[in-house]
Amino acid sequence: MISLQRLGCRGVVAALVLLGFVTTVAAAPSGPPVRIGSTLALTGPLAPTALLHKIAGEIYVEELNKANGLLGRPVEWVLLDDQSKPDVARSLYEKLITVDKVDLLMGPYATSAILAAMGVAQRYQKMLPHHTFGMPHLAKYEMHFPTAAFGPEPQRTLPTTVFDALAATSKPPRSVAIVTSKFPSAQHQSSGAKEVAEKRGLKVPLYLEYEFGTRDFGAIAARIKDASADVLWIGALGLDGNQILEALKKLDYTPPRHFHLFPAPGPLAVAPYGKLALSSTVFEEHPPFLGNPGAARLVPLFRERAARANVPYPHVDTQAGGSFAAWQLLEAAVTATKSLDDKVLGQWLRKNRVPTLIGTLRFDGPNNYGDDLFKVKQVQDGKWVVVWPREFAAPGARLLPP
Amino acid sequence: MSPAGRRVAAALAAAGIGLGALAAAGLPAFYESFLYLIFSWIALATSWAIFSGYAGYFSFGHGAFFGAGMYTTATLTTALDVPFLPTLLAAGGLAALLGAGVGAVVFRVKRLRGELFALLTLAVTFVLATIVLNTRIDGGPGVYLSAVPMPGLLASPTGTLYLLGLGLALATVGAAYAVAHSRLGLGLFAIHDDEDVAEVEGVPTFRYKLAAFALSAGIAGVAGGIHAMYVSYVTVGETFSITVPLYVVLMSVLGGARHWLGPAVGATLIGASLFAFTGGQQAILGRAVVALALILVILLLPEGVVPAALRRWRAWRPAAREAPASATPALVSDRQPGREAAALECHDVWKAFGGIQALRGVSLQVAPGEIVGLVGPNGSGKTTLINVASGHYAADRGRIALGAVTLAGRPAHAIAGLGVSRTYQIPRPFAHFTALENVALAATFGAARCSPPQARAEARRWLEFTGLGRRATALPHELNLHERKFLELARALAGRPRVILLDEVLSGLNPAEVAGAIRLIRQIHAGGVAILFVEHLMRAVLELAHRVVVLNEGEVIAEGRPHEAMRAPRVVEVYLGRTHVA
Amino acid sequence: MPSLTLLGQALVSGLLAGGIYGLLALGLSLSWGLLRLVNLAHFALALLGAYLTYQLGTAYHLSPWLAAAAIVPLFFLLGLGLHAVFTYFRVTEFTSLLVTFGLTVILESLIQWFWTADYRRYETPYATASARVGPLFIPALELLACLTAAVLSLATWAWLRFTYVGKALRASAEDPAMAAAFGVNHRVQGFLLSGVSATYAGIAGAFIALISTLAPSQIWAWVGVVFAVVIIGGLANPVGALLAGLLIGVSESVTMAVVTPAWAPLVAFSVLILILVARPERV
Repeated sequence: MISLQRLGCRGVVAALVLLGFVTTVAAAPSGPPVRIGSTLALTGPLAPTALLHKIAGEIYVEELNKANGLLGRPVEWVLLDDQSKPDVARSLYEKLITVDKVDLLMGPYATSAILAAMGVAQRYQKMLPHHTFGMPHLAKYEMHFPTAAFGPEPQRTLPTTVFDALAATSKPPRSVAIVTSKFPSAQHQSSGAKEVAEKRGLKVPLYLEYEFGTRDFGAIAARIKDASADVLWIGALGLDGNQILEALKKLDYTPPRHFHLFPAPGPLAVAPYGKLALSSTVFEEHPPFLGNPGAARLVPLFRERAARANVPYPHVDTQAGGSFAAWQLLEAAVTATKSLDDKVLGQWLRKNRVPTLIGTLRFDGPNNYGDDLFKVKQVQDGKWVVVWPREFAAPGARLLPP
Repeated sequence: MSPAGRRVAAALAAAGIGLGALAAAGLPAFYESFLYLIFSWIALATSWAIFSGYAGYFSFGHGAFFGAGMYTTATLTTALDVPFLPTLLAAGGLAALLGAGVGAVVFRVKRLRGELFALLTLAVTFVLATIVLNTRIDGGPGVYLSAVPMPGLLASPTGTLYLLGLGLALATVGAAYAVAHSRLGLGLFAIHDDEDVAEVEGVPTFRYKLAAFALSAGIAGVAGGIHAMYVSYVTVGETFSITVPLYVVLMSVLGGARHWLGPAVGATLIGASLFAFTGGQQAILGRAVVALALILVILLLPEGVVPAALRRWRAWRPAAREAPASATPALVSDRQPGREAAALECHDVWKAFGGIQALRGVSLQVAPGEIVGLVGPNGSGKTTLINVASGHYAADRGRIALGAVTLAGRPAHAIAGLGVSRTYQIPRPFAHFTALENVALAATFGAARCSPPQARAEARRWLEFTGLGRRATALPHELNLHERKFLELARALAGRPRVILLDEVLSGLNPAEVAGAIRLIRQIHAGGVAILFVEHLMRAVLELAHRVVVLNEGEVIAEGRPHEAMRAPRVVEVYLGRTHVA
Repeated sequence: MPSLTLLGQALVSGLLAGGIYGLLALGLSLSWGLLRLVNLAHFALALLGAYLTYQLGTAYHLSPWLAAAAIVPLFFLLGLGLHAVFTYFRVTEFTSLLVTFGLTVILESLIQWFWTADYRRYETPYATASARVGPLFIPALELLACLTAAVLSLATWAWLRFTYVGKALRASAEDPAMAAAFGVNHRVQGFLLSGVSATYAGIAGAFIALISTLAPSQIWAWVGVVFAVVIIGGLANPVGALLAGLLIGVSESVTMAVVTPAWAPLVAFSVLILILVARPERV
């Protein structure tokens, strides 16, 4: 009697172990890989930021393959270097589709390359999710899906958010000086900022456009100091904002408040003059964002991988966040429709809301843009924290006055 | 067209049909776009070399013309709804106009050559880029051409671009071949080696440079127009970057900038290598490997891939033998009617260089059939007078005429065309031309105005005349001083001049060579040419000259029959010092 | 109408920025003018110097001055090595552009390999220090860079003018055969010059590390303007390079103070075109 029970117990355990083993083996993706093709600016002037997207993509694909892959099949990311050149990007997307014959596409880095890729995707009716497009009014293809969630009119909505945040402080600003690079997306949104500011009754004592690639900001800094506005809006890309702040510091001037449009986040956060700098973001590494789908898993992975790759600022923010979200879109659409057909996927995305790392995305607005998910963040104690809208602010954080 | 030309044209046509058919048959779009990019670079590099490679004026402004073309098409198609294909004509035309405009201003200034020209063209690019960035042409946001309808030359847009690119590349290479084998090309090559001498030999340098520059710019403009549709989103940053101006130079140098096919080969090599390592994992090191390969190629083949290949091929094939030339040709007498001998007259000519007054009211004549010796101590202005008479320099004041026709104020090439030739004291042959080609150039552009086969025959005859017949295929650096001086002479004669100005032809020759030269000069005179020769060797002056003019410090101090003039007290004083006057 | 202070500040800023142009242009002007070789890799060397300064400063906590002192001999050797390659292969002015372009790409790739493409900033306490002269501010680092440029320019000019080596170099550049006939050892002089030129690149790089943020593709940001400075200043004219740098820096800066800054290159280069066309002898 007892021996039968023991045999039964062991048998049950053995059976469970066997069952577990079998299901694990069955869970690993198998079969021909699902190939997803894209390019990134791995070399050239855009390489600094594209590096973050490379890391994000690699992590996501590895995680997919550790789980069930896509539709039970392993995922292979065919990544090519477009050398920061849109004409090369166009040609490489044609290669991915017509020669490498990938199943699905992922977008490249930055507006010009995405436009080039969009043209190709349109000709072959392939779906194109992408993460860094800055000019919504130019995106006219019905199967493109942006996770740079600016909303359809960023030149109106983003400045509105920013000025709302500023107006809610104890000393709302009365004047704003606007200095912007002539990089297309920066200029577009900064000129919108001017209109919004004037409509809200703010004075704009200075509106300057400088050439993308300006090396010496001394004269511009002198004019900013002269204008002496309450807020300095810098339509900067990359490090222009840093250079302007440094140039101002050399003139012994710190703008009371400064907002940066598309800064390189790391250098600005750690710079001594970056204190209390403002910018916009769709994701930061604190609640409530950490509660978004995938955040808890992906954020630590990114930190570790980026640190290993010697990236000076190994945190997930708008860039990596947008990248993860784009992959999440792909995965969600494929899983829901159980299909790799671009038309089917595209239709599904247009009709459904997808919860992602950066929030819930929808694509049923003008040019497939949905809500403006951008929030205002600020450098506090060498780190970026979201401060507005209040529901998204880091616990206990608010927009600190100068 | 010559047989070689017909072969090349046939080859290009075959390439065009073959590659075109490939696209029609349905090449995967990637190959079409990849090849389109190669074709585009071929057109850009070859068009750059048509001016900069042939004439040696390195332009760093090709990006300006390319950009002008891009924005012309972008603006016309989006703002004015002009269909795409016609805008290409406008793009090319506008770019050509821009090139002509820049050239018209810059080529008039003699000092703007070499690196100054490179700088100027670079500056033009920056200026144009800034204007486009700050005006309504672009203004910053870029121009988006996605809504512009593509002409349906082939089923797919990429295929259409492929065909357009192919057509442009073939046309450009064909144009490069045609220019290289035309008078324009010959003139450009001469300008490359020594522009001032080319001008004096009769090459209309200003017009030729302008034409070549405008052609080069126009082609770049058309390439830009096509490229605007390819990228479909045109921004200033991308269009006017340093890539185009730098890469066309690199591609041309790699393939061989002086050869019509060189830039195309270079463009193919470098263009293809851009795609060689686009795989994600090796991108960074891949670029380094490609760069290393490039370095090795150019170190081992410094003259360029195509010239090196040609050199190997020629060394392997036996050289063809040239038939020897006929007897001494006549000079003035058996030529075009209406070109009678005329007197060269200089009246009251003044010329100063900064603070130095080189010529003070010099007057002299050389009657038809005369040999006039021009002598004087060093620095007396003899070479300056020759320079002024031949148009190398412009006189400040005074009248210089050949018969009834005024020479002063005309460009040097026109003076050469009227029948005035000169030699240089230190020979200045065109370094990359063989002896035959040096002389043939003068025959092509001088008063004789021969066609290419005639010019070669003339050149051979003159080389025989001066005793250089066996050195016809030698390059100048392979000739000794004596041979080079006689090459100068042959070149001066091939222009069928009515007056020839010799500048110290005998200096540096040994006595046997001097005797030979004197015989030669007598033969030239017997052919009916008037001669003005500068000489220090008194024996030659006394033997040859009918009359002698003595210059000192820019003034004529004596004139007359050789023995009399040389004995005039003032002349003795100037040469030997006061104590000897007695 | 901009205030006098604004104009004055723009002038200061332009002069100092021009000093950096001059510093970068110095080595290039020397090698191009005296060795007749167009060294595009000069810019890559400068950026390498910048990255090395950054690395020595952040990883080994060497002060920038010590780092620069360490860089100087290393770059001298690099210059010697470069010249060895040029002389062994008898590289001409024509082909030197292609060879140095290849070298630049290789160096850029190496830099990206070791330091990644991401931005690097060498933070030092002097980055925002300024001296105050009346209403004007004079940033300390830029001033130091400008003074270094001036000192090196004048020293180089004196070296070329008054020392045997300098005169030998100038003679060789004008007429190598004649100079050799007079006993000038062109080879040794060439190596020396290449080493010096590379050292200047390294020093310029050290300042770039202190003043700007680094990324591998920065190499190309300077090429256009520095070439312009070299040519305007006159090849092998060290003082000319400095003055040309100042001229361009000031014209850019003053334009940015008075009109929309995006017009700055137009003014600088239009002035240049006018000078070249109207009075080319000035150059």
